[in-house]
Amino acid sequence: MSSHASTVDPKKAELWDTHHHSHDVISTRTLGYFLYLLSDGMLFATLFAAYGVLSYQHSYFGGPTPAEFVKPWYTFAQTIALFLSVLAYGFGMNALKHKNKSGLINGMLAAFVLGVVFLVLDIHDMSHLYSMGITLASSGGMSAFMVLTQVHATHIFFGLIWILVMMAQVMTKGFTEETVGRLLTLRMFWHLQAVIWVFVYIFVYLWGYIS
Amino acid sequence: MSHGAADPTMHPEVQLSTSKGYFLGFAISAFLMLVATFLVTSHSVPPFGLLMVISVCAGIAVIAQIYFLLHIDISEHNIWNTVALVLFIPLFLITIGLTWWMFSQLYLRTMDMSVMSSAMQPAVHASATPGMAAMPGMNAHTDSGN
Repeated sequence: MSSHASTVDPKKAELWDTHHHSHDVISTRTLGYFLYLLSDGMLFATLFAAYGVLSYQHSYFGGPTPAEFVKPWYTFAQTIALFLSVLAYGFGMNALKHKNKSGLINGMLAAFVLGVVFLVLDIHDMSHLYSMGITLASSGGMSAFMVLTQVHATHIFFGLIWILVMMAQVMTKGFTEETVGRLLTLRMFWHLQAVIWVFVYIFVYLWGYIS
Repeated sequence: MSHGAADPTMHPEVQLSTSKGYFLGFAISAFLMLVATFLVTSHSVPPFGLLMVISVCAGIAVIAQIYFLLHIDISEHNIWNTVALVLFIPLFLITIGLTWWMFSQLYLRTMDMSVMSSAMQPAVHASATPGMAAMPGMNAHTDSGN
Protein backbone atom coordinates (compact mmCIF):
# COMPACT_ATOMS: atom_id res chain seq x y z
CA MET A 1 0.00 0.00 0.00
CA SER A 2 2.83 2.34 0.84
CA SER A 3 4.51 1.65 -2.49
CA HIS A 4 1.24 2.30 -4.26
CA ALA A 5 0.75 5.61 -2.44
CA SER A 6 4.24 6.73 -3.43
CA THR A 7 3.41 6.43 -7.16
CA VAL A 8 0.25 8.56 -6.97
CA ASP A 9 0.60 12.31 -6.89
CA PRO A 10 -2.32 13.43 -4.71
CA LYS A 11 -2.45 16.81 -6.41
CA LYS A 12 -2.99 15.32 -9.85
CA ALA A 13 -4.87 12.15 -8.99
CA GLU A 14 -8.36 11.83 -10.49
CA LEU A 15 -10.64 10.39 -7.85
CA TRP A 16 -13.74 10.23 -10.03
CA ASP A 17 -14.20 8.64 -13.40
CA THR A 18 -15.82 11.50 -15.25
CA HIS A 19 -15.81 9.92 -18.67
CA HIS A 20 -19.15 8.97 -20.16
CA HIS A 21 -19.61 5.23 -20.59
CA SER A 22 -22.35 4.28 -23.00
CA HIS A 23 -24.83 1.87 -21.50
CA ASP A 24 -25.94 -1.04 -23.67
CA VAL A 25 -29.67 -0.30 -23.51
CA ILE A 26 -30.65 -2.95 -26.06
CA SER A 27 -28.90 -5.82 -24.26
CA THR A 28 -30.30 -4.76 -20.90
CA ARG A 29 -33.83 -4.76 -22.30
CA THR A 30 -33.48 -8.06 -24.15
CA LEU A 31 -32.17 -9.82 -21.02
CA GLY A 32 -35.04 -8.37 -18.99
CA TYR A 33 -37.53 -9.50 -21.61
CA PHE A 34 -35.97 -12.96 -21.73
CA LEU A 35 -36.48 -13.28 -17.95
CA TYR A 36 -40.12 -12.25 -18.45
CA LEU A 37 -40.51 -14.92 -21.13
CA LEU A 38 -39.13 -17.55 -18.75
CA SER A 39 -41.81 -16.56 -16.21
CA ASP A 40 -44.30 -16.95 -19.07
CA GLY A 41 -42.80 -20.43 -19.41
CA MET A 42 -43.76 -21.07 -15.76
CA LEU A 43 -47.36 -20.15 -16.67
CA PHE A 44 -47.22 -22.90 -19.28
CA ALA A 45 -45.62 -25.25 -16.71
CA THR A 46 -48.69 -24.88 -14.47
CA LEU A 47 -51.03 -25.48 -17.43
CA PHE A 48 -49.05 -28.55 -18.54
CA ALA A 49 -49.16 -29.81 -14.93
CA ALA A 50 -52.95 -29.25 -14.86
CA TYR A 51 -53.33 -31.12 -18.15
CA GLY A 52 -51.08 -33.89 -16.81
CA VAL A 53 -53.29 -34.51 -13.76
CA LEU A 54 -56.54 -34.05 -15.74
CA SER A 55 -55.80 -36.33 -18.68
CA TYR A 56 -56.54 -39.64 -16.96
CA GLN A 57 -59.32 -41.81 -18.30
CA HIS A 58 -61.68 -40.73 -15.49
CA SER A 59 -60.90 -37.04 -16.14
CA TYR A 60 -63.09 -37.14 -19.25
CA PHE A 61 -65.97 -38.69 -17.28
CA GLY A 62 -67.06 -40.97 -20.09
CA GLY A 63 -67.21 -38.06 -22.51
CA PRO A 64 -65.03 -37.38 -25.53
CA THR A 65 -61.27 -37.69 -25.14
CA PRO A 66 -58.58 -36.17 -27.40
CA ALA A 67 -58.17 -39.65 -28.93
CA GLU A 68 -61.64 -39.23 -30.46
CA PHE A 69 -61.36 -35.77 -32.00
CA VAL A 70 -57.65 -34.93 -32.57
CA LYS A 71 -56.74 -35.05 -36.26
CA PRO A 72 -52.91 -35.34 -36.32
CA TRP A 73 -52.40 -34.16 -39.91
CA TYR A 74 -54.69 -31.15 -39.43
CA THR A 75 -52.68 -30.05 -36.39
CA PHE A 76 -49.48 -30.85 -38.28
CA ALA A 77 -50.58 -28.25 -40.87
CA GLN A 78 -50.91 -25.76 -37.97
CA THR A 79 -47.42 -26.74 -36.84
CA ILE A 80 -45.91 -26.05 -40.25
CA ALA A 81 -47.77 -22.71 -40.55
CA LEU A 82 -46.32 -21.59 -37.20
CA PHE A 83 -42.79 -22.86 -37.96
CA LEU A 84 -42.86 -21.09 -41.36
CA SER A 85 -44.04 -17.90 -39.67
CA VAL A 86 -41.11 -18.12 -37.26
CA LEU A 87 -38.77 -18.77 -40.21
CA ALA A 88 -40.14 -15.74 -42.10
CA TYR A 89 -39.58 -13.52 -39.06
CA GLY A 90 -36.03 -14.89 -38.83
CA PHE A 91 -35.40 -14.02 -42.48
CA GLY A 92 -36.81 -10.54 -41.78
CA MET A 93 -34.34 -10.13 -38.90
CA ASN A 94 -31.55 -11.22 -41.23
CA ALA A 95 -32.61 -8.38 -43.56
CA LEU A 96 -32.40 -6.00 -40.58
CA LYS A 97 -28.78 -7.09 -40.14
CA HIS A 98 -28.11 -5.72 -43.66
CA LYS A 99 -30.24 -2.57 -43.04
CA ASN A 100 -32.70 -3.83 -45.66
CA LYS A 101 -36.00 -2.24 -44.61
CA SER A 102 -38.16 -3.71 -47.39
CA GLY A 103 -36.72 -7.18 -46.67
CA LEU A 104 -37.63 -6.79 -43.00
CA ILE A 105 -41.17 -5.60 -43.80
CA ASN A 106 -41.67 -8.49 -46.25
CA GLY A 107 -40.45 -11.01 -43.68
CA MET A 108 -42.76 -9.57 -41.00
CA LEU A 109 -45.70 -9.52 -43.42
CA ALA A 110 -45.11 -13.20 -44.29
CA ALA A 111 -44.78 -14.01 -40.57
CA PHE A 112 -48.08 -12.19 -39.93
CA VAL A 113 -49.97 -13.98 -42.72
CA LEU A 114 -48.68 -17.41 -41.65
CA GLY A 115 -49.52 -16.62 -38.03
CA VAL A 116 -53.07 -15.74 -39.12
CA VAL A 117 -53.24 -19.10 -40.96
CA PHE A 118 -52.26 -20.84 -37.70
CA LEU A 119 -54.89 -18.94 -35.73
CA VAL A 120 -57.67 -19.51 -38.32
CA LEU A 121 -56.93 -23.26 -38.31
CA ASP A 122 -57.09 -23.23 -34.51
CA ILE A 123 -60.38 -21.31 -34.40
CA HIS A 124 -61.86 -23.62 -37.05
CA ASP A 125 -60.76 -26.62 -34.97
CA MET A 126 -62.33 -25.20 -31.79
CA SER A 127 -65.61 -24.29 -33.52
CA HIS A 128 -65.71 -27.82 -34.95
CA LEU A 129 -65.41 -29.21 -31.40
CA TYR A 130 -68.12 -26.81 -30.24
CA SER A 131 -70.44 -27.99 -33.02
CA MET A 132 -69.88 -31.56 -31.78
CA GLY A 133 -71.06 -30.47 -28.33
CA ILE A 134 -67.53 -30.53 -26.86
CA THR A 135 -66.96 -27.40 -24.77
CA LEU A 136 -64.83 -26.14 -21.91
CA ALA A 137 -67.50 -27.48 -19.51
CA SER A 138 -67.66 -31.02 -20.92
CA SER A 139 -65.20 -32.46 -18.39
CA GLY A 140 -62.14 -31.59 -16.35
CA GLY A 141 -59.96 -33.14 -19.04
CA MET A 142 -61.53 -30.99 -21.76
CA SER A 143 -61.13 -27.86 -19.61
CA ALA A 144 -57.41 -28.57 -19.21
CA PHE A 145 -57.03 -29.38 -22.92
CA MET A 146 -58.81 -26.26 -24.13
CA VAL A 147 -57.28 -23.83 -21.65
CA LEU A 148 -53.74 -25.01 -22.48
CA THR A 149 -54.17 -24.90 -26.26
CA GLN A 150 -56.11 -21.64 -26.23
CA VAL A 151 -53.64 -19.86 -23.92
CA HIS A 152 -51.02 -20.67 -26.55
CA ALA A 153 -53.36 -19.38 -29.29
CA THR A 154 -53.85 -16.18 -27.24
CA HIS A 155 -50.08 -15.69 -27.25
CA ILE A 156 -50.16 -15.99 -31.05
CA PHE A 157 -53.01 -13.44 -31.22
CA PHE A 158 -51.09 -10.84 -29.22
CA GLY A 159 -47.91 -11.64 -31.14
CA LEU A 160 -49.75 -10.87 -34.39
CA ILE A 161 -50.87 -7.48 -33.04
CA TRP A 162 -47.28 -6.80 -31.95
CA ILE A 163 -46.00 -7.68 -35.46
CA LEU A 164 -48.42 -5.14 -36.99
CA VAL A 165 -47.38 -2.46 -34.49
CA MET A 166 -43.69 -3.07 -35.21
CA MET A 167 -44.25 -2.94 -38.98
CA ALA A 168 -45.86 0.47 -38.52
CA GLN A 169 -43.04 1.66 -36.21
CA VAL A 170 -40.31 0.50 -38.59
CA MET A 171 -42.02 2.31 -41.50
CA THR A 172 -42.54 5.57 -39.58
CA LYS A 173 -39.51 5.72 -37.25
CA GLY A 174 -36.91 3.64 -39.09
CA PHE A 175 -34.12 1.76 -37.33
CA THR A 176 -33.74 3.58 -34.01
CA GLU A 177 -32.45 2.10 -30.77
CA GLU A 178 -36.08 1.72 -29.60
CA THR A 179 -37.45 0.00 -32.70
CA VAL A 180 -34.45 -2.33 -33.13
CA GLY A 181 -34.65 -3.31 -29.44
CA ARG A 182 -38.37 -4.04 -29.80
CA LEU A 183 -37.75 -6.09 -32.96
CA LEU A 184 -35.26 -8.18 -30.97
CA THR A 185 -37.70 -8.75 -28.08
CA LEU A 186 -40.46 -9.62 -30.59
CA ARG A 187 -38.08 -12.11 -32.20
CA MET A 188 -37.58 -13.80 -28.81
CA PHE A 189 -41.33 -13.80 -28.12
CA TRP A 190 -42.26 -15.17 -31.56
CA HIS A 191 -39.57 -17.82 -31.64
CA LEU A 192 -40.44 -18.99 -28.11
CA GLN A 193 -44.00 -19.64 -29.28
CA ALA A 194 -42.60 -22.28 -31.66
CA VAL A 195 -40.71 -23.92 -28.77
CA ILE A 196 -43.86 -24.04 -26.60
CA TRP A 197 -45.89 -25.33 -29.55
CA VAL A 198 -43.55 -28.35 -29.85
CA PHE A 199 -44.56 -29.33 -26.29
CA VAL A 200 -48.25 -28.63 -26.95
CA TYR A 201 -48.26 -30.56 -30.23
CA ILE A 202 -46.32 -33.62 -29.00
CA PHE A 203 -47.56 -33.98 -25.43
CA VAL A 204 -51.14 -32.71 -25.76
CA TYR A 205 -52.28 -33.37 -29.33
CA LEU A 206 -50.24 -36.43 -30.36
CA TRP A 207 -50.07 -38.07 -26.91
CA GLY A 208 -53.79 -37.38 -26.46
CA TYR A 209 -54.41 -39.01 -29.83
CA ILE A 210 -52.56 -42.25 -28.95
CA SER A 211 -53.80 -42.61 -25.35
CA MET B 1 -17.19 -6.03 -29.22
CA SER B 2 -17.40 -2.25 -29.17
CA HIS B 3 -20.79 -0.99 -30.14
CA GLY B 4 -22.13 2.47 -29.56
CA ALA B 5 -25.61 3.84 -29.83
CA ALA B 6 -24.74 5.24 -33.23
CA ASP B 7 -26.16 2.43 -35.34
CA PRO B 8 -28.48 0.02 -33.54
CA THR B 9 -28.46 -2.40 -36.49
CA MET B 10 -24.78 -3.06 -35.70
CA HIS B 11 -25.74 -4.35 -32.25
CA PRO B 12 -24.35 -7.89 -31.74
CA GLU B 13 -27.81 -9.32 -31.09
CA VAL B 14 -28.89 -8.09 -34.52
CA GLN B 15 -25.68 -9.20 -36.19
CA LEU B 16 -25.89 -12.77 -34.89
CA SER B 17 -28.89 -13.47 -37.16
CA THR B 18 -28.13 -15.89 -39.97
CA SER B 19 -30.60 -17.17 -42.57
CA LYS B 20 -28.82 -20.52 -42.51
CA GLY B 21 -29.32 -20.88 -38.75
CA TYR B 22 -33.00 -19.98 -38.93
CA PHE B 23 -33.51 -22.37 -41.83
CA LEU B 24 -31.74 -25.20 -39.95
CA GLY B 25 -33.91 -24.56 -36.88
CA PHE B 26 -37.01 -24.74 -39.07
CA ALA B 27 -35.92 -27.78 -41.09
CA ILE B 28 -34.83 -29.91 -38.10
CA SER B 29 -37.93 -29.21 -36.01
CA ALA B 30 -40.36 -29.55 -38.97
CA PHE B 31 -38.77 -32.86 -39.99
CA LEU B 32 -39.02 -34.24 -36.43
CA MET B 33 -42.66 -33.18 -36.18
CA LEU B 34 -43.29 -34.91 -39.53
CA VAL B 35 -41.68 -38.13 -38.24
CA ALA B 36 -43.71 -37.98 -35.00
CA THR B 37 -46.98 -37.35 -36.85
CA PHE B 38 -46.28 -40.14 -39.32
CA LEU B 39 -45.46 -42.67 -36.57
CA VAL B 40 -48.55 -41.71 -34.57
CA THR B 41 -50.92 -42.04 -37.53
CA SER B 42 -49.39 -45.25 -38.92
CA HIS B 43 -49.98 -47.17 -35.63
CA SER B 44 -46.86 -49.24 -36.40
CA VAL B 45 -45.22 -48.80 -32.99
CA PRO B 46 -46.72 -49.94 -29.65
CA PRO B 47 -48.02 -47.03 -27.49
CA PHE B 48 -45.24 -46.95 -24.89
CA GLY B 49 -42.49 -47.11 -27.49
CA LEU B 50 -44.34 -44.47 -29.49
CA LEU B 51 -44.46 -42.16 -26.48
CA MET B 52 -40.70 -42.58 -26.02
CA VAL B 53 -39.99 -41.90 -29.71
CA ILE B 54 -42.17 -38.77 -29.95
CA SER B 55 -40.71 -37.50 -26.64
CA VAL B 56 -37.23 -37.80 -28.14
CA CYS B 57 -38.48 -35.99 -31.28
CA ALA B 58 -39.83 -33.18 -29.07
CA GLY B 59 -36.59 -32.99 -27.09
CA ILE B 60 -34.33 -32.72 -30.14
CA ALA B 61 -36.68 -30.23 -31.86
CA VAL B 62 -36.73 -28.00 -28.77
CA ILE B 63 -32.93 -28.12 -28.41
CA ALA B 64 -32.52 -27.25 -32.11
CA GLN B 65 -34.96 -24.34 -31.80
CA ILE B 66 -33.36 -23.02 -28.60
CA TYR B 67 -29.93 -23.12 -30.23
CA PHE B 68 -30.75 -21.87 -33.73
CA LEU B 69 -33.72 -19.55 -33.03
CA LEU B 70 -33.13 -18.23 -29.51
CA HIS B 71 -29.32 -18.18 -29.93
CA ILE B 72 -28.74 -19.81 -26.54
CA ASP B 73 -25.01 -20.52 -26.38
CA ILE B 74 -21.99 -19.64 -24.25
CA SER B 75 -20.87 -16.62 -26.27
CA GLU B 76 -20.08 -13.47 -24.31
CA HIS B 77 -23.27 -11.80 -25.42
CA ASN B 78 -25.72 -14.59 -24.60
CA ILE B 79 -24.20 -16.21 -21.54
CA TRP B 80 -26.71 -14.65 -19.12
CA ASN B 81 -29.65 -15.78 -21.24
CA THR B 82 -28.15 -19.27 -21.11
CA VAL B 83 -27.63 -19.14 -17.34
CA ALA B 84 -31.23 -17.97 -16.83
CA LEU B 85 -32.55 -20.76 -19.07
CA VAL B 86 -30.43 -23.43 -17.36
CA LEU B 87 -31.76 -22.31 -13.95
CA PHE B 88 -35.31 -22.18 -15.38
CA ILE B 89 -35.38 -25.77 -16.68
CA PRO B 90 -35.35 -27.46 -13.20
CA LEU B 91 -38.20 -25.18 -12.04
CA PHE B 92 -40.20 -26.10 -15.14
CA LEU B 93 -39.61 -29.84 -14.73
CA ILE B 94 -40.18 -29.84 -10.94
CA THR B 95 -43.48 -27.93 -11.29
CA ILE B 96 -44.85 -30.41 -13.82
CA GLY B 97 -43.23 -33.54 -12.40
CA LEU B 98 -44.12 -33.08 -8.73
CA THR B 99 -47.69 -32.00 -9.52
CA TRP B 100 -48.19 -35.04 -11.73
CA TRP B 101 -46.61 -37.35 -9.16
CA MET B 102 -48.72 -36.03 -6.28
CA PHE B 103 -51.98 -36.42 -8.20
CA SER B 104 -51.12 -39.85 -9.57
CA GLN B 105 -50.49 -41.03 -5.97
CA LEU B 106 -53.72 -39.36 -4.85
CA TYR B 107 -55.75 -41.09 -7.57
CA LEU B 108 -54.09 -44.40 -6.74
CA ARG B 109 -55.06 -44.18 -3.06
CA THR B 110 -58.47 -42.49 -3.16
CA MET B 111 -60.28 -43.54 -6.31
CA ASP B 112 -63.07 -46.07 -5.84
CA MET B 113 -62.65 -48.30 -8.85
CA SER B 114 -66.25 -49.56 -8.84
CA VAL B 115 -67.48 -45.98 -9.08
CA MET B 116 -64.82 -45.27 -11.69
CA SER B 117 -65.98 -48.09 -13.95
CA SER B 118 -69.57 -46.87 -13.82
CA ALA B 119 -68.39 -43.43 -14.89
CA MET B 120 -66.70 -45.07 -17.89
CA GLN B 121 -70.04 -46.09 -19.33
CA PRO B 122 -70.48 -44.31 -22.68
CA ALA B 123 -74.18 -43.72 -21.81
CA VAL B 124 -73.12 -40.53 -20.04
CA HIS B 125 -72.12 -38.18 -22.82
CA ALA B 126 -70.45 -34.87 -22.17
CA SER B 127 -73.03 -32.93 -24.20
CA ALA B 128 -75.54 -33.80 -21.50
CA THR B 129 -73.90 -32.44 -18.38
CA PRO B 130 -73.88 -35.24 -15.83
CA GLY B 131 -75.60 -34.63 -12.52
CA MET B 132 -73.50 -34.32 -9.40
CA ALA B 133 -74.87 -37.59 -8.01
CA ALA B 134 -73.42 -39.49 -10.98
CA MET B 135 -69.93 -38.13 -10.45
CA PRO B 136 -67.18 -40.26 -8.90
CA GLY B 137 -67.08 -39.81 -5.17
CA MET B 138 -70.41 -37.98 -4.99
CA ASN B 139 -72.32 -41.07 -3.94
CA ALA B 140 -69.86 -41.81 -1.14
CA HIS B 141 -72.69 -41.59 1.43
CA THR B 142 -74.17 -44.82 0.12
CA ASP B 143 -70.82 -46.54 0.62
CA SER B 144 -70.37 -45.18 4.12
CA GLY B 145 -73.68 -46.71 5.14
CA ASN B 146 -72.29 -50.19 4.66
